[in-house]
Amino acid sequence: MNNLKLSRLFLYAILITFCLVYMMPLVVMVMTSLKTLPDIKAGNIMSLPQEWVFDAWYKAWGGACTGITCEGVKGYFWNSFQMVIPAVVVSTLIGAFNGYVVTKWQFKGSNLFFSLLLFGCFIPFQVILLPMAAVLGKLGMANTTMGLALVHVIYGAAFTTLFFRNFYIGIPDELVKAAKLDGAGFFTIFFRILLPLSTPIIMVTVIWQFTSIWNDFLFGVVYSGADTQPITVALNNLVNTSTGVKEYNVDMAAAIIAGLPTLVVYVLAGKYFVRGLTAGSVKG
Amino acid sequence: MATLDLKQIRKTYPKADQETLKGIDISIESGEFLILVGPSGCGKSTLMNTIAGLEDISSGHIVIDGREVSQVEPKDRDIAMVFQSYALYPNMTVYGNIAFGLKIRKMPQEEINTEVQRVAKMLQIDHLLDRKPSQLSGGQRQRVAMGRALARRPKLYLFDEPLSNLDAKLRVEMRHQIKRLHQQLNTTIVYVTHDQIEAMTLADRIAVMKEGEVQQLGTPNDIYSAPNNMFVASFMGSPSMNFIAGCVHRNDAGQPYIEMLDSNQDPKQLSLPLAMSEYEGKDIVVGLRPEHITDKVMPDSDTLTRLELSLDVLEPTGPDVIAMFTLNDQEIACRLAPTFLAKAGQVVPLSFDLSKAVFFDAKTEQRLDIV
Repeated sequence: MNNLKLSRLFLYAILITFCLVYMMPLVVMVMTSLKTLPDIKAGNIMSLPQEWVFDAWYKAWGGACTGITCEGVKGYFWNSFQMVIPAVVVSTLIGAFNGYVVTKWQFKGSNLFFSLLLFGCFIPFQVILLPMAAVLGKLGMANTTMGLALVHVIYGAAFTTLFFRNFYIGIPDELVKAAKLDGAGFFTIFFRILLPLSTPIIMVTVIWQFTSIWNDFLFGVVYSGADTQPITVALNNLVNTSTGVKEYNVDMAAAIIAGLPTLVVYVLAGKYFVRGLTAGSVKG
Repeated sequence: MATLDLKQIRKTYPKADQETLKGIDISIESGEFLILVGPSGCGKSTLMNTIAGLEDISSGHIVIDGREVSQVEPKDRDIAMVFQSYALYPNMTVYGNIAFGLKIRKMPQEEINTEVQRVAKMLQIDHLLDRKPSQLSGGQRQRVAMGRALARRPKLYLFDEPLSNLDAKLRVEMRHQIKRLHQQLNTTIVYVTHDQIEAMTLADRIAVMKEGEVQQLGTPNDIYSAPNNMFVASFMGSPSMNFIAGCVHRNDAGQPYIEMLDSNQDPKQLSLPLAMSEYEGKDIVVGLRPEHITDKVMPDSDTLTRLELSLDVLEPTGPDVIAMFTLNDQEIACRLAPTFLAKAGQVVPLSFDLSKAVFFDAKTEQRLDIV
């Protein structure tokens, strides 16, 4: 009994240590962002702020210089949203639709189609930079937010299709057969039967797509114009723009702002991460 | 209510080297309850799916009520199907599940309501209409699945092993309910099962299938007492029919018999009906149901042979006991009265009633026609 308690204690000690190690960077970031510049220069990186100030946050949001303009990251923050929302919605819908077709309406070569699409998951970003730029130029979408969103939709479709395909393959074919006999057509079955069952996988896909598109830097820096830069690019510019003094507190605040939406998505959508919504369609 | 004619249905799956259905011919009358039965992989579910239109046929004709439907979409064939897994829509309530097909067919809302109520009452699920399938028990789900089929009032009902996911007690209960429903509604039903008791109890006619071919199509009684071949004979009935192989001889009196060894390795003669004389010198298999071997002492006659065998195993089932013996190195099952008492190894006199036996050619395994 005593032995058991001791091993429990040991286990918790290790877990807590790991927690602390993982939390450290965030704690340092938050504390640094709340310090004044002299405080940062004088003190230890781990120390609490001598004076708690939010100046760095205001500056990062509305006044810091990113390249030649000095309006903070707020404009770019909204740019990112304008790019991320359509890109996530469209790529998720395409993935759901593709997944539905390759599992429930298999056609000649649908497996080949799916394998080729899977290939898209392994294509490095760098490979398509130049051809994609040419395509965007021809479409007249160079340097636009929509153009950037389009790139993300195309790139994301491979992943979202994979997600939905793996989810739909677990849904019994008999459900589709029953609906067919009930008189439902291709789209009715998709919208009335399968999509309502897809909440868990939609949440997974949205989290995945939102995070990877929001965090993307390479496509953002290549395909966006000066006004349409996403926040990741702006953050980079903010940190690299030097006007003599390095304002660590502003950098930290801006970095937290840039990371906040993905955190919010995790917190909000995470609870819908439930499985077993189809439980009950088959024998239980 | 409708007739269904299957004419030379053939089906080969792409990339398969064998035909799954090898020319099925079945004609079903209006209001008839036909059961397709066979071991797994015999093509019965495939046949069912082709009738429903969920799978294409390679050649042949499917005719429902005089209308050729082999190229018609499933939804336009006017067929309802009950699946083994029930396939209830998990996101809809029981009401939604039953009403779905009616809504798709643009039935006015009031009519849908009355129809759902009618079906729910009939199946005693009217108190469950607001539940989701996940909140139902197996038997209730099964009834909802049937309700979904009944609500559309289709020409033809297809049941694909609808009871095999239920426990034994519920299965018997649902079996009665299905039989009652059929008598009430007098609908045409095609029903797939691998359970031979279901087949015997429910069917007007049974089609026994094996490897994509119909082995025999007939009433349950035909199938049971006059099986076309050894496969059908062994498939229907539990414990299955006893097969006693041997060569036909004739004794001095002209009585045909086959020779066998009893438990003491003593040669004994098993008398055959006189009509078997024409097979003298040929290898045959005698098929005898377990209930046609008794422990009642009866005088020997042309068709009644007494043999003394030692008991291997005794299996009491309640209404009767199944006793296993060894004859000619083959296992023989007998259905005896529950009062029968004997220990393993004990020698028991048994009467073999060959007047009820069927005879098969040992090579072709087909039944021999004797007058």
